[in-house]
Amino acid sequence: MNLDLNDTQELLQQTVRDFLERELPFDRIRELERDGAWDQPLWKEVCRQGWLGLPFREEFGGAAGGLVDSGVLLEEFARRAAIVPALEALISGRVMQSRATAELASEWIPLILSGECVPVPALLEANDRFGDVKAQVREGRLRGEKSFVDYGQCATHHLVAARDAGELGLFLVDARTDRVECETLRNIGRTPQCSVVYSDAPVQRVSGEDGYLELVALGRSLSAVQCVGHMQQALDMTVEYAGVREQFGKRIGSFQAVRHHCANMFMRVSSARLLAFEALSGLDAGRLDPRQIAAAKAAASRAVPEVTMLAHQIHGGNGVIEENDLYFFTLRGKERSLAWGTAEECLAELAESVDARCEWL
Amino acid sequence: MDFEWAPEYTDFRDELRGFIQQWRTPELIAEYAATHGGQGPRIREFHEAIAERGWMRMCWAKEVGGEGRNMLYQFIFVEEMEYWGMPYGNLTFTSIAPSIATFGTEQQKRHYLPGIYRGEFVFAIGYSEPNAGTDLAALRTRAERDGDEWVINGQKIWTSLADVSTHIWLAVRTDPDAPRHAGISIIVVPTDTPGVTIRPLYTMYGGHTNETFYDDVRVPVENVVGGVNAGWGVIMHALNHERVGLAATGGLARIYDQLLEYLREERPDRLADPVVRGRLAELELDLREHRMLALQNAWIISKGGTPIVEASMAKVSGTELRTRIANVAMDLLGRSGALSAESGDRAPFEGRAEFNFRLSPIFRFGGGTNEIQRDIIGFAGLGLPR
Ligand SMILES: Cc1cc2nc3c(=O)[nH]c(=O)nc-3n(C[C@H](O)[C@H](O)[C@H](O)COP(=O)(O)OP(=O)(O)OC[C@H]3O[C@@H](n4cnc5c(N)ncnc54)[C@H](O)[C@@H]3O)c2cc1C
Repeated sequence: MNLDLNDTQELLQQTVRDFLERELPFDRIRELERDGAWDQPLWKEVCRQGWLGLPFREEFGGAAGGLVDSGVLLEEFARRAAIVPALEALISGRVMQSRATAELASEWIPLILSGECVPVPALLEANDRFGDVKAQVREGRLRGEKSFVDYGQCATHHLVAARDAGELGLFLVDARTDRVECETLRNIGRTPQCSVVYSDAPVQRVSGEDGYLELVALGRSLSAVQCVGHMQQALDMTVEYAGVREQFGKRIGSFQAVRHHCANMFMRVSSARLLAFEALSGLDAGRLDPRQIAAAKAAASRAVPEVTMLAHQIHGGNGVIEENDLYFFTLRGKERSLAWGTAEECLAELAESVDARCEWL
Repeated sequence: MDFEWAPEYTDFRDELRGFIQQWRTPELIAEYAATHGGQGPRIREFHEAIAERGWMRMCWAKEVGGEGRNMLYQFIFVEEMEYWGMPYGNLTFTSIAPSIATFGTEQQKRHYLPGIYRGEFVFAIGYSEPNAGTDLAALRTRAERDGDEWVINGQKIWTSLADVSTHIWLAVRTDPDAPRHAGISIIVVPTDTPGVTIRPLYTMYGGHTNETFYDDVRVPVENVVGGVNAGWGVIMHALNHERVGLAATGGLARIYDQLLEYLREERPDRLADPVVRGRLAELELDLREHRMLALQNAWIISKGGTPIVEASMAKVSGTELRTRIANVAMDLLGRSGALSAESGDRAPFEGRAEFNFRLSPIFRFGGGTNEIQRDIIGFAGLGLPR
């Protein structure tokens, strides 16, 4: 057992944090949000630094690390509200690494790590239900519609869940042809998202249902980390604000009610982070435990509104103006809490198998 | 980061479980329930068996008769004992022993620690007074020096186990003129010392605690632990260790597991109800979150540290969860959830949900109230202004 980051992970955390503080002012994010754009220069840097490649094998140009490393990275991106398809490209590549044929993996993963290819998952359809997939592949061509595709309009490729002769699988589609049509969706997190219509788009098969399940597990665990990053930033801002804002001649952080709100926020964030990293550590150890992962996402998802709304309570009026940076984390956090399984969906999964024996100790 | 337990720990846990299964007889459990944390022939026999295996002192330093093993072993030991509801010395073991080991003189360590690990010594804790609860530094029970003795006068309340104890770990004022926190000492008072009077206070959970009165109680000067007027630091240290114990996952997980097992065996109709399953899933999630906070304590302990903010977090989360689990369990059991153990087989899993509902308030305010724990988290954990 080791609940601390190792030296390399600590260095990574510090390096990424310093880099983002230096290079990514919040006004830049406001600009991107306004334009509905993503941060292409930042993405180039992420690839150039090798950050995306952390959990990939060396033969593909990766660093042979683990998902915990990627968790550290994604938490820092979330704390800065960066607008890059890091989760999406990362998990698409990881599923290719573990499930695709050797030829396919060695063809595509190096392109992903270099930034030339930006793949994003396209799983959900308009009904917003995991596993309920109607899109069809016939004779190497994809027909159907997808929705809630994060960064779909920015990506070069989509990793699409579809059925081929009834069997669920993942298929790689070039998104830059006129057989793929994206329609922008505006969400509360102000990050790029779209719905997509595929009209006989040519595909390459990546995996069967096993890949689909792995993709969901990865998306869930890492989006839980994103929630944690957003919450942590909201907490840090709140503690800082409570230490300077004065009323009644005292700093508001010295009022017990405010202090207790902060303590509650801290507890929520702590247990959510530990569960999220427990999920990643399990995956790194080669164990995919869907119940533990559902719990991690449920904990993170249900904590987001509690933590961010307490942050707003303590910020008072200052917290709701757009010049203040707090809204990034409230809105982005809520959006991430719905992605890859809401608290409700994840709890329903736990409920369904609630008689499964847990090893508590 | 790695959440896996190394084999030496899982092996130890397995060994412990095997041992507990062998000793966990209905007679022992009944004796434990009837004596409310005290002693009986079966409990004594069990303690001897534990002592024989060296488990009570395995994590103590070699100089005081231990094996100097990583404190994680003790953490596992407490978790398993709590899960199976076994008597293991409780606060005497988790809070008093480490405080004596840290602050005691050589003579005190040699005298008290062996008695504790053999289960012969039971300490009652005398901090609280009628007017010194959360504000413990307001305590007024005083000890005055008379030659080679302290003469103690005053009153304590909530001195749990005093009636079955061999010693009282007593917080007294030794310098009435010093600032409040700087005039307090810890003195060990053998319970049978003349002048100690114990009066029971019966509680709504069936057990009792006590008021204790001290009239010209005389004990040798060397019974002070940690130095005269240096008691506040000793108390804070002991309370911190108490909280790590209060934060254990074991007892909570057991109620949850028993509830689930009962519904599966006896009320599959209820367990099939999606609303019931949803509430169970929420409890499971709460427990998983709490377990992480308790694990964080274990991790810090394993590094040789003493969790403080982390212990406060786990104490708050575990104690509030105990009420929630007991409450939801009763709801899901329906009318039979209200039946107490006296109803025999009609009470689901020995009426433990009902019992814990009555018991649970004490953990939330005991060991430092949760309001104060949240203050600690705010001050020490987040650096909020005073
Ligand atoms: C069954 C039982 C067993 C016990 N066993 C022992 C024992 O063995 N030894 C021992 O020494 N004591 C023992 N206690 C005492 C226990 O530790 C105290 O009850 C506890 O410290 C709270 O003190 P109090 O009951 O006087 O409540 P109070 O101090 O009067 O507190 C009442 C409420 O006011 C709140 N409050 C007080 N001050 C503040 C503040 N500054 N900020 C915010 N809120 C505040 C508290 O958090 C609490 O919610 C036991 C108590 C019980 C009931």
